[in-house]
Amino acid sequence: MTIAGKIRMLVMLAVLALPAAAHHSFAIFDSTREVTISGTVAEFQWTNPHCWLHVDVVGDDGVAEQWVVEMLSKNVLGRMGWNRISVKPGDEVTVVLHPVRTGASGGNMVRIFDAAGEPIGGPLQ
Amino acid sequence: MKQPISIIIGLISMVLAGGATAQFGTPVIEELEVSPPVPARLPDGRPNWTGFWIVPNGLLDTYRGPSGVDGQAPGTNTRSARRQDIPPLKEPYETMYVEALRKSAAGELSDPVAACFPPGMPRVMVMIYGMEILQTPNVISITSEWGPATRRIWMDLDEHPPLEELDPTYQGHSIGRWEDDTLVISTVGIREDVPLDFGQLPHSPRLHVIERFTEVRPGVLVNELTVEDPEVFEEPWTSRYVYVYRPDFRLQEFVCQENNRNIDADGHSVFE
Repeated sequence: MTIAGKIRMLVMLAVLALPAAAHHSFAIFDSTREVTISGTVAEFQWTNPHCWLHVDVVGDDGVAEQWVVEMLSKNVLGRMGWNRISVKPGDEVTVVLHPVRTGASGGNMVRIFDAAGEPIGGPLQ
Repeated sequence: MKQPISIIIGLISMVLAGGATAQFGTPVIEELEVSPPVPARLPDGRPNWTGFWIVPNGLLDTYRGPSGVDGQAPGTNTRSARRQDIPPLKEPYETMYVEALRKSAAGELSDPVAACFPPGMPRVMVMIYGMEILQTPNVISITSEWGPATRRIWMDLDEHPPLEELDPTYQGHSIGRWEDDTLVISTVGIREDVPLDFGQLPHSPRLHVIERFTEVRPGVLVNELTVEDPEVFEEPWTSRYVYVYRPDFRLQEFVCQENNRNIDADGHSVFE
């Protein structure tokens, strides 16, 4: 199975998304929809109360657009097996996210896969 | 076809393992994998709960069940609803609560926690960041990793100071006593601007929180938390929270102001 196929299957099977475990309301995100993006990490902010991933995604027109992904807190992600070097600028990643309702290029992390298609980090503890 | 089936089974296992994030129903106590605290008891014979505890699945209890909809926090979708597990509210609190729910559904809610203020009691007991319990003869300290915020349970006091003399605080004034192996904590003096849950459930200065901690299985604590507030609720109501001992985790630093990008000047959730 191709990496893309594997990711698609994982996404398909993961019918329930990461719960809204955070310190603020998630009304700004559309939790009924999932969007998958693939691109190059521009910046990874390993911070509280949330981590942030900026990903440059090249569209069909060849133009790169930066997506902003909000993640859980570094304390919680750390207990899921993440650390500050789990992703680095230049890394290729695939991100499944709940899109922000404003229509901007961004959303709330559901799951993140590395260049080999492997999920980064384990389950929520 | 053997191989594809094994791949699918493997992927399903991965999803169940990795996607356990997805499952946030009420934990089944008998099924939890735990390592109980050692020693099981302190020299004075009391249960030893010193160490780090988490809410299984990392979830805020107030995020699931009747307080939200379909396991989501109030405000996480447009179908936000009032809690069904609480008795009716008296006025003016009912009006305040309905307005907060409307704002929550519209994404206009200003939650003090989103602006990095302490959750306060009783919300601090269900934050996802876990908590450290330290026991000494006269005080039991419960530190939530959120903040971090420490509650001190005075075991050497038989009663609270008079309410009118008490300076309201986020954590309130807590006294504790043992009833056999159950730790009973009484808390009063909680600030009025501390909502009871993420839906901004209000309370009055007469709020009284009673917690009963019992180690139902070695390494599993159940907190039966009762809210009494005769000015707000027609009758007391009780929630149940489960904590699991995790010797592999330690309390970490957490500074909410480090990079709080989600909040505008009015305390509303934003994304940019």
